[in-house]
Amino acid sequence: MLRSGTSGASRRNVLKGVGMATVGASLLPAGAALAQGTAPAAAPKGPKLLEMDGKAKLAVLGDKPLVAETQAELLDDAVTPTDKLFVRNNGQIPDITGDAKAWKIKIDGEVNTPLELSVGELMSRFPNVSYKLMLECGGNGRSFFTPEARGNQWTNGGAGCPEWTGVRLADVLKAAGLKPSATYTGHYGADPTLAGDTDKPSISRGMPIAKAMEEHTLIAFKLNGKDLPLIHGAPVRLLVPGWAGSLSTKWLKRIWVRDKEHDGPGMGGFSYRTPKTPIVPGSKGNEKDMAILESMPVRSVITFPADGTKLAAGTRKLDLRGHAWAGDYDIKTVDISTDHGVTWKPAKVDAPPNKFAWQRFTATIDLPTAGYYEVWAKATDSKGVTQPFAARNWNPQGYGANPINHIRVLVES
Amino acid sequence: MKQLTITHVVVIALTAVFLLVAMDRAGELRGPQAAYVPPAKPAPAAAASVVADSEKGKPPPHHDKIEDLPDGKGREVTFYTCTACHGVALIKAQGLTRELWDSTLDLMVEKHRVPQFKPAERAEILDYLSEQFPPRRKGRAADNPFLK
Repeated sequence: MLRSGTSGASRRNVLKGVGMATVGASLLPAGAALAQGTAPAAAPKGPKLLEMDGKAKLAVLGDKPLVAETQAELLDDAVTPTDKLFVRNNGQIPDITGDAKAWKIKIDGEVNTPLELSVGELMSRFPNVSYKLMLECGGNGRSFFTPEARGNQWTNGGAGCPEWTGVRLADVLKAAGLKPSATYTGHYGADPTLAGDTDKPSISRGMPIAKAMEEHTLIAFKLNGKDLPLIHGAPVRLLVPGWAGSLSTKWLKRIWVRDKEHDGPGMGGFSYRTPKTPIVPGSKGNEKDMAILESMPVRSVITFPADGTKLAAGTRKLDLRGHAWAGDYDIKTVDISTDHGVTWKPAKVDAPPNKFAWQRFTATIDLPTAGYYEVWAKATDSKGVTQPFAARNWNPQGYGANPINHIRVLVES
Repeated sequence: MKQLTITHVVVIALTAVFLLVAMDRAGELRGPQAAYVPPAKPAPAAAASVVADSEKGKPPPHHDKIEDLPDGKGREVTFYTCTACHGVALIKAQGLTRELWDSTLDLMVEKHRVPQFKPAERAEILDYLSEQFPPRRKGRAADNPFLK
């Protein structure tokens, strides 16, 4: 069955290429269109780029399920545009048709009044709020671990800070009335598992009630002022800023209020958990000695100039900028070094537009000579926790890697 | 460019449309039916925001070929087992010790409901993955004195 599906698909792709060649014949040089549908002759340099309506050319980490990260230089906008927001899927993308406002979500478990609410009711019954909120994959930075940890090999691009509009989860939970026994949430989305099963969730994570009641934790229905695109969780999704993105369930169907820590897929073992006692990098680890990753760690990304930029001969100063964020915390300082950490110079750090938004940093650095420079950025959060020189606390599924970010520039002589 | 009249443009465009429509009707431009067909949901006719096409907004379907994995003993069973759920790109991005590949196979059975492997198949898959995708990232941790 897989075989026939595969050959059918490749035949289709070849024909698509022919179709495009026909349409584009007058626009493209002959070779350009004919290259479509044939086996790649040589691997192109750099990552495979996403080709999808409504999305920028993000770096594809996996095609099945689609996982794509935002290159550092595409994280430069103050508010991440929808097309540049990273894509992470744990299952298949559900078929959702019909009126978005009729989509229903259920709140049940340890509540006085279980609720079933349509999106229309959510919008009209509770105050609508908009915030710029970080969404960040729990595995962001995984590629910085040595040796490799299991999973998608993110650099720093499993993150973005768009504007989300929705209702506060706290308002909805208050309407349902939390019982004193309510301690944790369990989230369910409509996405089938990778194998196509619909009788079990592809992933179902949850959070302590305190995080669910935080005023920036939303049931979101708009992204940058427009209806959520399907790929980002339409009609509604959770948005749990500052914590692993897997809590921000897309295609939200149900929130089960639990009387104990949730135990859905993605909650036990090595999933979204880091070692309490540091383990030998590359070893199997002990799943009984792991703690849940809650707040994401402090991180900074230089978004301008791009890694690999050549600077004109005679350039002696460089204006750089980037973003820094730290899960539940604010950024206190960002320091820049052009000499591998021998000396540091503070960058200017802007206040966030609201809590859980990333912060802009800018700096003008000196480049005393022509030649090769690595520009390092190191952020420190409001608790005084800073970024390490190398990814630390290796774990089998690779969470929490947030080493100092750097770009490489060459001043031509 | 002077010879390219409006007539040429119209003829080229109509030919292209005709070809595409013909291929579409022959079924060549449609993806295979998804294995999962969800229960039909009521769709009010005059709603404000209606998503009519269930494929709209989804990434294009992706299919790997067995040749996308490096040749070696066990490639075939590995390909057909793993790509039921995962793309080849994800497999190739991994770099794990035999011990971690072993626990990865356990994880798929225990957490993701993969049917229990036949012992011979499991051994072949484990040999293939361990041999083809060992830790490759170099650094101080690559030759850790404590690593098995």
